[in-house]
Amino acid sequence: MNGVGIGLALARARLRGPTSALVLLSSGAALFAISVLERQSDPASAPDDALSGAVFGIALPLLAYLVSERVCAGQRLQHSLDGVARYGTNRRTALLGLLLASALCSAFASALLTIAALLGAHAPHSTSLIADLRASVGIALIAGAVYALYFGAASLLGKRGGGRKWALIIDFVLGAGGSALAAPWPRGHVRNLLGGEPVVELSQLSAWLALAVIGAACLTLSVARTAE
Amino acid sequence: MSELRFETLSHAELYNVSASFTAGTHVVLGSERDGTGTFVQLAAGIVAPATGRVLLDGVSAWSNARTRRRIASLSAEETLLPARDVTGAIALALRARGDARSALSVLDDAGLARLATQRLSDLTAREARAVTLSIALSHREPALLALHEPLNAVGILHDEFVLQALARFSAAGAIVLCSASRLEDAARLGGTASALERGLWLGSAHARPPLSTITLRIHTPEPRRLAARLSEAPDISGVEWAGGQELLVHGSELEALAHSVVANARAEAIRITALKQDCPPLEALAAARAGLAQAYYERARAAGNAPTTPASQS
Repeated sequence: MNGVGIGLALARARLRGPTSALVLLSSGAALFAISVLERQSDPASAPDDALSGAVFGIALPLLAYLVSERVCAGQRLQHSLDGVARYGTNRRTALLGLLLASALCSAFASALLTIAALLGAHAPHSTSLIADLRASVGIALIAGAVYALYFGAASLLGKRGGGRKWALIIDFVLGAGGSALAAPWPRGHVRNLLGGEPVVELSQLSAWLALAVIGAACLTLSVARTAE
Repeated sequence: MSELRFETLSHAELYNVSASFTAGTHVVLGSERDGTGTFVQLAAGIVAPATGRVLLDGVSAWSNARTRRRIASLSAEETLLPARDVTGAIALALRARGDARSALSVLDDAGLARLATQRLSDLTAREARAVTLSIALSHREPALLALHEPLNAVGILHDEFVLQALARFSAAGAIVLCSASRLEDAARLGGTASALERGLWLGSAHARPPLSTITLRIHTPEPRRLAARLSEAPDISGVEWAGGQELLVHGSELEALAHSVVANARAEAIRITALKQDCPPLEALAAARAGLAQAYYERARAAGNAPTTPASQS
Protein backbone atom coordinates (compact mmCIF):
# COMPACT_ATOMS: atom_id res chain seq x y z
CA MET A 1 0.00 0.00 0.00
CA ASN A 2 2.79 2.37 -0.91
CA GLY A 3 0.25 4.55 -2.72
CA VAL A 4 -1.63 5.27 0.53
CA GLY A 5 1.65 6.37 2.12
CA ILE A 6 2.37 8.61 -0.87
CA GLY A 7 -1.10 10.18 -0.55
CA LEU A 8 -0.55 10.74 3.17
CA ALA A 9 2.87 12.29 2.52
CA LEU A 10 1.43 14.53 -0.18
CA ALA A 11 -1.38 15.71 2.09
CA ARG A 12 1.02 16.30 4.99
CA ALA A 13 3.27 18.39 2.77
CA ARG A 14 0.32 20.48 1.62
CA LEU A 15 -1.03 20.99 5.12
CA ARG A 16 2.36 21.86 6.56
CA GLY A 17 3.08 25.48 7.31
CA PRO A 18 2.22 28.15 9.84
CA THR A 19 -1.13 29.04 8.23
CA SER A 20 -2.82 25.78 9.23
CA ALA A 21 -1.78 26.11 12.87
CA LEU A 22 -2.70 29.79 12.89
CA VAL A 23 -6.21 29.12 11.52
CA LEU A 24 -6.75 26.35 14.08
CA LEU A 25 -5.53 28.45 16.98
CA SER A 26 -7.50 31.54 16.01
CA SER A 27 -10.65 29.46 15.43
CA GLY A 28 -10.21 27.83 18.83
CA ALA A 29 -9.71 31.20 20.50
CA ALA A 30 -12.76 32.69 18.75
CA LEU A 31 -14.96 29.75 19.74
CA PHE A 32 -13.71 29.95 23.32
CA ALA A 33 -14.60 33.65 23.40
CA ILE A 34 -18.07 33.05 21.88
CA SER A 35 -18.74 30.29 24.41
CA VAL A 36 -17.74 32.55 27.31
CA LEU A 37 -20.19 35.15 26.04
CA GLU A 38 -22.91 32.46 25.75
CA ARG A 39 -22.21 31.41 29.35
CA GLN A 40 -22.52 34.98 30.56
CA SER A 41 -25.92 35.38 28.88
CA ASP A 42 -27.35 31.93 29.81
CA PRO A 43 -25.09 29.48 31.68
CA ALA A 44 -27.56 26.58 31.48
CA SER A 45 -27.88 26.47 27.70
CA ALA A 46 -24.42 27.81 26.86
CA PRO A 47 -22.77 24.43 26.02
CA ASP A 48 -25.64 23.35 23.75
CA ASP A 49 -25.89 26.72 22.04
CA ALA A 50 -22.13 26.95 21.45
CA LEU A 51 -21.86 23.44 20.10
CA SER A 52 -24.92 23.40 17.85
CA GLY A 53 -24.39 26.96 16.65
CA ALA A 54 -20.82 28.14 16.42
CA VAL A 55 -18.91 24.85 16.52
CA PHE A 56 -20.88 22.26 14.54
CA GLY A 57 -23.05 24.73 12.66
CA ILE A 58 -20.35 27.02 11.29
CA ALA A 59 -16.75 26.33 12.34
CA LEU A 60 -16.59 22.61 11.68
CA PRO A 61 -17.95 22.64 8.08
CA LEU A 62 -15.82 25.68 7.24
CA LEU A 63 -12.69 24.12 8.70
CA ALA A 64 -13.29 20.82 6.89
CA TYR A 65 -13.84 22.81 3.70
CA LEU A 66 -10.54 24.64 4.17
CA VAL A 67 -8.69 21.41 4.93
CA SER A 68 -10.15 19.82 1.79
CA GLU A 69 -9.23 22.86 -0.30
CA ARG A 70 -5.68 22.78 1.03
CA VAL A 71 -5.22 19.02 0.67
CA CYS A 72 -6.44 19.16 -2.95
CA ALA A 73 -4.17 22.18 -3.58
CA GLY A 74 -7.21 24.12 -4.81
CA GLN A 75 -7.72 21.64 -7.65
CA ARG A 76 -10.11 18.94 -8.68
CA LEU A 77 -9.57 15.86 -6.49
CA GLN A 78 -8.29 13.65 -9.33
CA HIS A 79 -5.97 16.35 -10.67
CA SER A 80 -4.51 17.02 -7.24
CA LEU A 81 -2.84 13.60 -7.55
CA ASP A 82 -1.35 14.12 -11.02
CA GLY A 83 1.98 15.19 -9.54
CA VAL A 84 2.63 11.78 -8.00
CA ALA A 85 0.64 9.78 -10.57
CA ARG A 86 3.07 10.74 -13.34
CA TYR A 87 5.78 8.83 -11.50
CA GLY A 88 3.71 5.67 -11.45
CA THR A 89 1.69 5.91 -8.26
CA ASN A 90 -1.81 4.47 -8.47
CA ARG A 91 -4.18 7.43 -8.20
CA ARG A 92 -6.78 5.42 -6.33
CA THR A 93 -4.52 4.28 -3.53
CA ALA A 94 -2.93 7.73 -3.31
CA LEU A 95 -6.44 9.18 -3.09
CA LEU A 96 -7.19 6.92 -0.13
CA GLY A 97 -4.12 8.30 1.63
CA LEU A 98 -5.04 11.86 0.74
CA LEU A 99 -8.61 11.49 2.04
CA LEU A 100 -7.40 9.62 5.12
CA ALA A 101 -5.10 12.53 5.96
CA SER A 102 -7.89 15.01 5.30
CA ALA A 103 -10.32 13.05 7.50
CA LEU A 104 -7.83 12.67 10.35
CA CYS A 105 -6.90 16.33 10.22
CA SER A 106 -10.53 17.51 10.16
CA ALA A 107 -11.49 15.11 12.95
CA PHE A 108 -8.57 16.25 15.11
CA ALA A 109 -9.31 19.92 14.47
CA SER A 110 -13.02 19.41 15.20
CA ALA A 111 -12.20 17.75 18.49
CA LEU A 112 -9.92 20.62 19.48
CA LEU A 113 -12.55 23.22 18.58
CA THR A 114 -15.18 21.30 20.54
CA ILE A 115 -12.91 21.19 23.59
CA ALA A 116 -12.18 24.91 23.29
CA ALA A 117 -15.89 25.74 23.05
CA LEU A 118 -16.86 23.53 26.00
CA LEU A 119 -14.09 24.98 28.16
CA GLY A 120 -15.51 28.42 27.48
CA ALA A 121 -19.17 27.40 27.89
CA HIS A 122 -18.73 25.66 31.24
CA ALA A 123 -17.90 27.42 34.45
CA PRO A 124 -14.49 26.50 35.89
CA HIS A 125 -14.70 23.27 37.97
CA SER A 126 -18.12 22.48 36.48
CA THR A 127 -19.09 18.87 37.19
CA SER A 128 -20.80 18.40 33.82
CA LEU A 129 -17.75 19.42 31.78
CA ILE A 130 -16.20 15.95 31.64
CA ALA A 131 -19.49 14.31 30.68
CA ASP A 132 -20.07 16.90 27.94
CA LEU A 133 -16.54 16.46 26.65
CA ARG A 134 -16.92 12.70 26.55
CA ALA A 135 -20.16 12.91 24.56
CA SER A 136 -19.22 15.75 22.23
CA VAL A 137 -15.66 14.85 21.26
CA GLY A 138 -16.84 11.54 19.77
CA ILE A 139 -19.41 13.39 17.69
CA ALA A 140 -16.77 15.92 16.65
CA LEU A 141 -14.39 13.19 15.52
CA ILE A 142 -16.90 11.44 13.30
CA ALA A 143 -18.43 14.69 12.04
CA GLY A 144 -15.01 16.06 11.09
CA ALA A 145 -14.11 12.87 9.24
CA VAL A 146 -17.44 12.68 7.41
CA TYR A 147 -17.30 16.34 6.38
CA ALA A 148 -13.77 15.77 5.02
CA LEU A 149 -14.95 12.82 2.91
CA TYR A 150 -18.04 14.80 1.84
CA PHE A 151 -15.95 17.73 0.60
CA GLY A 152 -13.50 15.28 -0.97
CA ALA A 153 -16.27 13.76 -3.08
CA ALA A 154 -17.59 17.23 -3.93
CA SER A 155 -14.09 18.09 -5.19
CA LEU A 156 -14.67 15.64 -8.03
CA LEU A 157 -16.89 18.29 -9.62
CA GLY A 158 -15.79 21.46 -11.35
CA LYS A 159 -12.69 22.31 -13.28
CA ARG A 160 -10.85 23.36 -10.11
CA GLY A 161 -12.91 21.38 -7.64
CA GLY A 162 -15.59 24.09 -7.43
CA GLY A 163 -18.02 21.43 -6.23
CA ARG A 164 -16.58 21.99 -2.74
CA LYS A 165 -18.14 25.44 -2.55
CA TRP A 166 -21.52 24.14 -3.72
CA ALA A 167 -21.33 21.30 -1.21
CA LEU A 168 -20.76 23.83 1.58
CA ILE A 169 -23.73 25.94 0.48
CA ILE A 170 -26.05 22.96 -0.05
CA ASP A 171 -25.15 21.58 3.38
CA PHE A 172 -25.92 24.95 4.97
CA VAL A 173 -29.22 25.40 3.12
CA LEU A 174 -30.73 21.93 2.75
CA GLY A 175 -29.12 20.40 5.82
CA ALA A 176 -30.75 23.03 8.05
CA GLY A 177 -34.22 21.46 7.78
CA GLY A 178 -35.60 18.21 9.11
CA SER A 179 -37.25 16.92 5.92
CA ALA A 180 -36.06 14.18 3.57
CA LEU A 181 -34.15 16.86 1.65
CA ALA A 182 -31.74 17.08 4.59
CA ALA A 183 -31.05 13.34 4.68
CA PRO A 184 -28.12 13.17 2.19
CA TRP A 185 -26.10 15.92 3.94
CA PRO A 186 -24.12 15.63 7.19
CA ARG A 187 -25.49 18.74 8.95
CA GLY A 188 -28.91 17.39 9.94
CA HIS A 189 -27.50 14.16 11.35
CA VAL A 190 -24.81 15.96 13.36
CA ARG A 191 -27.52 18.23 14.77
CA ASN A 192 -29.55 15.14 15.71
CA LEU A 193 -26.55 13.68 17.58
CA LEU A 194 -26.21 16.92 19.53
CA GLY A 195 -29.83 16.64 20.65
CA GLY A 196 -31.35 18.91 18.04
CA GLU A 197 -34.15 18.36 15.54
CA PRO A 198 -33.78 14.94 13.85
CA VAL A 199 -33.89 14.41 10.11
CA VAL A 200 -37.06 12.53 9.08
CA GLU A 201 -37.54 11.47 12.70
CA LEU A 202 -34.40 9.30 12.69
CA SER A 203 -33.14 8.10 16.07
CA GLN A 204 -29.67 9.08 17.26
CA LEU A 205 -28.39 5.59 16.52
CA SER A 206 -29.70 5.97 12.98
CA ALA A 207 -27.96 9.36 12.76
CA TRP A 208 -24.63 7.68 13.55
CA LEU A 209 -25.36 5.14 10.85
CA ALA A 210 -26.44 7.85 8.41
CA LEU A 211 -23.17 9.70 8.91
CA ALA A 212 -21.23 6.47 8.40
CA VAL A 213 -23.19 5.77 5.21
CA ILE A 214 -22.60 9.30 3.89
CA GLY A 215 -18.86 8.97 4.60
CA ALA A 216 -18.62 5.52 3.00
CA ALA A 217 -20.64 6.62 -0.04
CA CYS A 218 -18.45 9.68 -0.55
CA LEU A 219 -15.29 7.60 -0.25
CA THR A 220 -16.59 4.97 -2.67
CA LEU A 221 -17.65 7.64 -5.15
CA SER A 222 -14.27 9.36 -4.95
CA VAL A 223 -12.37 6.14 -5.62
CA ALA A 224 -14.75 4.98 -8.36
CA ARG A 225 -14.55 8.30 -10.23
CA THR A 226 -10.75 8.37 -10.20
CA ALA A 227 -8.67 6.64 -12.85
CA GLU A 228 -5.87 4.32 -11.81
CA MET B 1 10.81 -3.92 -28.02
CA SER B 2 8.58 -1.10 -26.73
CA GLU B 3 6.20 0.75 -28.99
CA LEU B 4 4.39 4.04 -28.44
CA ARG B 5 1.31 4.59 -30.58
CA PHE B 6 -0.90 7.62 -31.09
CA GLU B 7 -4.21 6.53 -32.61
CA THR B 8 -6.40 9.20 -34.28
CA LEU B 9 -5.70 11.50 -31.40
CA SER B 10 -7.29 14.93 -31.07
CA HIS B 11 -6.61 17.00 -27.99
CA ALA B 12 -6.23 20.77 -27.51
CA GLU B 13 -4.03 21.95 -30.43
CA LEU B 14 -3.53 18.45 -31.82
CA TYR B 15 -5.75 17.26 -34.64
CA ASN B 16 -6.14 13.68 -35.77
CA VAL B 17 -2.59 12.60 -34.94
CA SER B 18 -1.64 9.02 -35.77
CA ALA B 19 1.96 8.01 -35.29
CA SER B 20 4.07 5.27 -33.78
CA PHE B 21 7.54 5.19 -32.28
CA THR B 22 9.85 2.31 -31.45
CA ALA B 23 13.17 2.16 -29.59
CA GLY B 24 15.59 4.94 -30.43
CA THR B 25 15.65 8.70 -30.44
CA HIS B 26 12.80 10.63 -32.06
CA VAL B 27 12.62 14.40 -32.26
CA VAL B 28 9.37 16.26 -32.88
CA LEU B 29 10.01 19.69 -34.30
CA GLY B 30 7.62 22.50 -33.57
CA SER B 31 6.74 25.13 -31.02
CA GLU B 32 4.34 24.87 -28.10
CA ARG B 33 1.77 26.65 -30.28
CA ASP B 34 2.05 23.71 -32.66
CA GLY B 35 1.16 21.35 -29.82
CA THR B 36 4.52 19.82 -28.89
CA GLY B 37 3.96 20.40 -25.16
CA THR B 38 0.57 18.67 -25.29
CA PHE B 39 2.06 15.89 -27.42
CA VAL B 40 4.71 15.12 -24.79
CA GLN B 41 2.20 15.24 -21.92
CA LEU B 42 -0.10 12.84 -23.76
CA ALA B 43 2.80 10.48 -24.50
CA ALA B 44 3.79 10.48 -20.83
CA GLY B 45 0.23 9.77 -19.64
CA ILE B 46 0.10 13.05 -17.71
CA VAL B 47 -3.14 14.10 -19.38
CA ALA B 48 -5.98 11.99 -20.75
CA PRO B 49 -6.65 12.36 -24.49
CA ALA B 50 -9.96 14.00 -25.39
CA THR B 51 -10.46 11.63 -28.34
CA GLY B 52 -8.29 8.85 -29.67
CA ARG B 53 -5.76 6.78 -27.77
CA VAL B 54 -2.14 6.90 -26.70
CA LEU B 55 -0.75 3.44 -26.01
CA LEU B 56 2.62 2.29 -24.72
CA ASP B 57 2.98 -1.40 -25.53
CA GLY B 58 -0.77 -1.56 -26.07
CA VAL B 59 -1.67 -0.01 -22.71
CA SER B 60 -2.93 3.50 -22.01
CA ALA B 61 -0.41 5.15 -19.70
CA TRP B 62 -2.99 7.62 -18.40
CA SER B 63 -5.09 4.87 -16.85
CA ASN B 64 -2.39 2.36 -15.90
CA ALA B 65 -0.02 3.09 -13.02
CA ARG B 66 2.39 0.27 -13.87
CA THR B 67 2.87 1.67 -17.37
CA ARG B 68 3.40 5.21 -16.06
CA ARG B 69 6.14 3.89 -13.78
CA ARG B 70 8.12 2.95 -16.92
CA ILE B 71 7.94 6.51 -18.24
CA ALA B 72 10.22 9.43 -17.47
CA SER B 73 8.89 12.81 -18.52
CA LEU B 74 9.53 16.53 -18.70
CA SER B 75 6.71 18.98 -19.46
CA ALA B 76 6.84 22.53 -20.75
CA GLU B 77 6.09 23.87 -17.27
CA GLU B 78 7.05 22.00 -14.18
CA THR B 79 6.01 22.32 -10.56
CA LEU B 80 7.88 20.15 -8.11
CA LEU B 81 5.96 18.07 -5.58
CA PRO B 82 5.24 19.95 -2.34
CA ALA B 83 8.05 19.72 0.21
CA ARG B 84 10.24 21.84 2.45
CA ASP B 85 13.06 21.92 -0.11
CA VAL B 86 14.26 20.44 -3.39
CA THR B 87 15.60 17.31 -1.71
CA GLY B 88 12.20 16.63 -0.13
CA ALA B 89 10.41 17.09 -3.45
CA ILE B 90 12.77 14.69 -5.22
CA ALA B 91 12.51 12.18 -2.38
CA LEU B 92 8.71 12.15 -2.73
CA ALA B 93 8.97 11.75 -6.51
CA LEU B 94 11.40 8.84 -6.14
CA ARG B 95 9.13 7.25 -3.55
CA ALA B 96 6.19 7.63 -5.93
CA ARG B 97 8.25 5.87 -8.61
CA GLY B 98 9.25 3.11 -6.20
CA ASP B 99 12.91 4.09 -6.48
CA ALA B 100 14.98 3.47 -3.37
CA ARG B 101 17.88 5.75 -4.21
CA SER B 102 18.47 8.98 -2.32
CA ALA B 103 17.45 12.40 -3.59
CA LEU B 104 20.95 13.71 -3.00
CA SER B 105 22.48 11.11 -5.30
CA VAL B 106 20.10 12.17 -8.08
CA LEU B 107 21.12 15.80 -7.62
CA ASP B 108 24.80 14.87 -7.39
CA ASP B 109 24.71 12.87 -10.62
CA ALA B 110 23.15 15.82 -12.43
CA GLY B 111 25.55 18.34 -10.93
CA LEU B 112 22.72 20.08 -9.09
CA ALA B 113 23.83 19.46 -5.51
CA ARG B 114 23.84 23.23 -4.92
CA LEU B 115 20.02 23.21 -5.17
CA ALA B 116 19.55 20.49 -2.53
CA THR B 117 18.53 22.73 0.37
CA GLN B 118 16.85 25.42 -1.70
CA ARG B 119 13.19 26.17 -0.95
CA LEU B 120 10.82 25.37 -3.81
CA SER B 121 9.46 28.91 -3.84
CA ASP B 122 12.98 30.21 -4.53
CA LEU B 123 13.46 28.08 -7.64
CA THR B 124 13.15 29.68 -11.05
CA ALA B 125 11.01 28.01 -13.70
CA ARG B 126 14.16 26.84 -15.53
CA GLU B 127 15.63 25.39 -12.34
CA ALA B 128 12.38 23.51 -11.65
CA ARG B 129 12.58 22.04 -15.16
CA ALA B 130 16.22 21.11 -14.66
CA VAL B 131 15.42 19.32 -11.40
CA THR B 132 12.52 17.48 -13.05
CA LEU B 133 14.81 16.51 -15.93
CA SER B 134 17.36 15.17 -13.46
CA ILE B 135 14.62 13.01 -11.91
CA ALA B 136 13.64 11.78 -15.38
CA LEU B 137 17.22 10.96 -16.34
CA SER B 138 17.76 9.10 -13.06
CA HIS B 139 15.19 6.46 -14.08
CA ARG B 140 16.81 3.04 -14.02
CA GLU B 141 14.92 1.28 -16.82
CA PRO B 142 12.47 3.52 -18.64
CA ALA B 143 10.53 2.19 -21.60
CA LEU B 144 9.83 5.76 -22.69
CA LEU B 145 11.36 9.15 -22.06
CA ALA B 146 8.96 11.88 -23.15
CA LEU B 147 10.81 15.17 -22.85
CA HIS B 148 9.73 18.63 -23.90
CA GLU B 149 12.70 20.74 -25.01
CA PRO B 150 15.27 18.89 -22.86
CA LEU B 151 18.13 21.04 -24.13
CA ASN B 152 16.45 24.18 -22.79
CA ALA B 153 17.58 23.09 -19.34
CA VAL B 154 21.20 23.18 -20.50
CA GLY B 155 23.06 25.88 -18.69
CA ILE B 156 21.73 24.63 -15.38
CA LEU B 157 22.43 21.04 -16.35
CA HIS B 158 25.51 20.17 -18.41
CA ASP B 159 24.61 19.44 -22.02
CA GLU B 160 27.00 16.47 -22.11
CA PHE B 161 25.18 14.94 -19.14
CA VAL B 162 21.81 15.27 -20.89
CA LEU B 163 22.98 14.09 -24.32
CA GLN B 164 24.96 11.15 -22.93
CA ALA B 165 22.07 10.03 -20.75
CA LEU B 166 19.66 10.18 -23.70
CA ALA B 167 22.10 8.25 -25.91
CA ARG B 168 22.50 5.65 -23.17
CA PHE B 169 18.74 5.18 -22.80
CA SER B 170 18.30 5.01 -26.57
CA ALA B 171 21.02 2.38 -26.88
CA ALA B 172 19.41 0.39 -24.06
CA GLY B 173 16.20 0.06 -26.08
CA ALA B 174 14.10 2.86 -24.66
CA ILE B 175 11.95 5.17 -26.77
CA VAL B 176 13.45 8.63 -26.40
CA LEU B 177 10.84 11.11 -27.62
CA CYS B 178 11.90 14.74 -27.45
CA SER B 179 10.38 17.93 -28.77
CA ALA B 180 12.50 20.79 -30.04
CA SER B 181 11.60 24.18 -31.39
CA ARG B 182 15.12 24.92 -32.62
CA LEU B 183 16.64 22.98 -35.48
CA GLU B 184 20.01 23.23 -33.79
CA ASP B 185 18.65 21.37 -30.76
CA ALA B 186 17.04 18.76 -33.02
CA ALA B 187 20.36 18.18 -34.77
CA ARG B 188 22.13 17.75 -31.43
CA LEU B 189 19.51 15.32 -30.16
CA GLY B 190 19.82 13.26 -33.35
CA GLY B 191 17.57 10.34 -34.28
CA THR B 192 14.57 10.51 -36.60
CA ALA B 193 12.78 13.81 -37.02
CA SER B 194 9.06 14.48 -37.33
CA ALA B 195 7.17 17.74 -36.99
CA LEU B 196 3.97 19.27 -35.73
CA GLU B 197 2.54 22.19 -37.67
CA ARG B 198 -0.37 23.93 -35.95
CA GLY B 199 -1.50 20.64 -34.49
CA LEU B 200 -1.13 18.66 -37.70
CA TRP B 201 1.26 15.74 -37.61
CA LEU B 202 3.98 15.63 -40.22
CA GLY B 203 5.66 12.24 -40.07
CA SER B 204 9.36 11.65 -40.46
CA ALA B 205 8.97 11.06 -44.22
CA HIS B 206 7.54 14.58 -44.56
CA ALA B 207 10.00 16.19 -42.23
CA ARG B 208 13.08 14.54 -43.69
CA PRO B 209 13.64 16.68 -46.83
CA PRO B 210 14.44 19.96 -45.08
CA LEU B 211 16.49 18.22 -42.42
CA SER B 212 18.41 15.94 -44.73
CA THR B 213 20.22 18.78 -46.48
CA ILE B 214 23.51 19.10 -44.69
CA THR B 215 25.66 22.17 -45.19
CA LEU B 216 29.36 22.40 -44.39
CA ARG B 217 31.07 25.74 -43.97
CA ILE B 218 34.68 25.43 -45.18
CA HIS B 219 37.48 27.96 -44.86
CA THR B 220 40.38 27.67 -47.31
CA PRO B 221 42.97 30.03 -48.84
CA GLU B 222 42.07 28.66 -52.30
CA PRO B 223 38.27 28.65 -52.43
CA ARG B 224 38.00 28.97 -56.23
CA ARG B 225 40.07 25.87 -56.92
CA LEU B 226 38.33 23.86 -54.21
CA ALA B 227 34.88 24.93 -55.45
CA ALA B 228 35.77 23.83 -58.97
CA ARG B 229 36.94 20.45 -57.74
CA LEU B 230 33.96 19.90 -55.41
CA SER B 231 31.40 20.87 -58.02
CA GLU B 232 32.29 17.65 -59.89
CA ALA B 233 32.22 15.37 -56.84
CA PRO B 234 29.26 12.90 -56.84
CA ASP B 235 28.57 13.12 -53.07
CA ILE B 236 28.15 16.89 -53.18
CA SER B 237 24.84 18.35 -54.30
CA GLY B 238 25.95 22.00 -54.44
CA VAL B 239 28.75 24.44 -53.75
CA GLU B 240 28.33 28.15 -52.93
CA TRP B 241 31.10 30.71 -52.99
CA ALA B 242 30.24 34.32 -52.27
CA GLY B 243 33.80 35.63 -52.35
CA GLY B 244 36.26 35.55 -49.49
CA GLN B 245 37.73 32.37 -48.10
CA GLU B 246 34.51 30.62 -47.21
CA LEU B 247 32.67 27.93 -49.17
CA LEU B 248 29.26 26.45 -48.41
CA VAL B 249 29.07 22.83 -49.49
CA HIS B 250 25.73 20.97 -49.55
CA GLY B 251 25.05 17.25 -49.39
CA SER B 252 22.77 14.68 -47.84
CA GLU B 253 24.95 12.79 -45.36
CA LEU B 254 27.32 14.46 -42.98
CA GLU B 255 30.09 11.88 -42.86
CA ALA B 256 30.12 11.22 -46.63
CA LEU B 257 30.10 14.94 -47.29
CA ALA B 258 32.99 15.69 -44.94
CA HIS B 259 34.97 12.73 -46.27
CA SER B 260 34.45 13.87 -49.85
CA VAL B 261 35.53 17.44 -49.09
CA VAL B 262 38.71 16.31 -47.33
CA ALA B 263 39.56 13.73 -50.03
CA ASN B 264 39.10 16.25 -52.86
CA ALA B 265 41.11 18.92 -51.06
CA ARG B 266 43.92 16.45 -50.41
CA ALA B 267 43.90 15.34 -54.05
CA GLU B 268 44.42 18.94 -55.17
CA ALA B 269 46.80 19.72 -52.28
CA ILE B 270 44.47 22.48 -51.08
CA ARG B 271 44.73 23.43 -47.41
CA ILE B 272 41.51 23.59 -45.33
CA THR B 273 41.76 25.87 -42.31
CA ALA B 274 38.28 25.28 -40.86
CA LEU B 275 35.35 22.94 -41.45
CA LYS B 276 32.10 22.97 -39.53
CA GLN B 277 28.50 21.95 -39.96
CA ASP B 278 26.03 24.72 -40.68
CA CYS B 279 22.40 24.62 -39.58
CA PRO B 280 19.78 26.09 -41.89
CA PRO B 281 17.90 29.08 -40.48
CA LEU B 282 14.70 28.46 -38.55
CA GLU B 283 12.75 30.44 -41.14
CA ALA B 284 13.73 27.90 -43.80
CA LEU B 285 12.48 25.08 -41.63
CA ALA B 286 9.23 26.91 -40.86
CA ALA B 287 8.67 27.58 -44.55
CA ALA B 288 9.32 23.94 -45.37
CA ARG B 289 6.96 22.81 -42.64
CA ALA B 290 4.25 25.20 -43.77
CA GLY B 291 4.60 23.87 -47.31
CA LEU B 292 4.29 20.31 -46.07
CA ALA B 293 1.22 21.20 -44.00
CA GLN B 294 -0.36 22.74 -47.07
CA ALA B 295 0.44 19.62 -49.08
CA TYR B 296 -1.03 17.47 -46.35
CA TYR B 297 -4.21 19.52 -46.34
CA GLU B 298 -4.58 19.46 -50.10
CA ARG B 299 -4.07 15.73 -50.17
CA ALA B 300 -6.73 15.28 -47.49
CA ARG B 301 -9.12 17.61 -49.35
CA ALA B 302 -8.57 15.71 -52.59
CA ALA B 303 -9.53 12.54 -50.71
CA GLY B 304 -12.71 14.30 -49.47
CA ASN B 305 -11.49 14.28 -45.88
CA ALA B 306 -10.45 17.86 -45.31
CA PRO B 307 -9.63 18.63 -41.68
CA THR B 308 -11.32 21.73 -40.32
CA THR B 309 -8.57 23.16 -38.18
CA PRO B 310 -7.42 26.75 -37.89
CA ALA B 311 -4.51 25.79 -40.15
CA SER B 312 -6.82 24.60 -42.88
CA GLN B 313 -9.19 27.56 -42.57
CA SER B 314 -6.48 30.15 -42.94
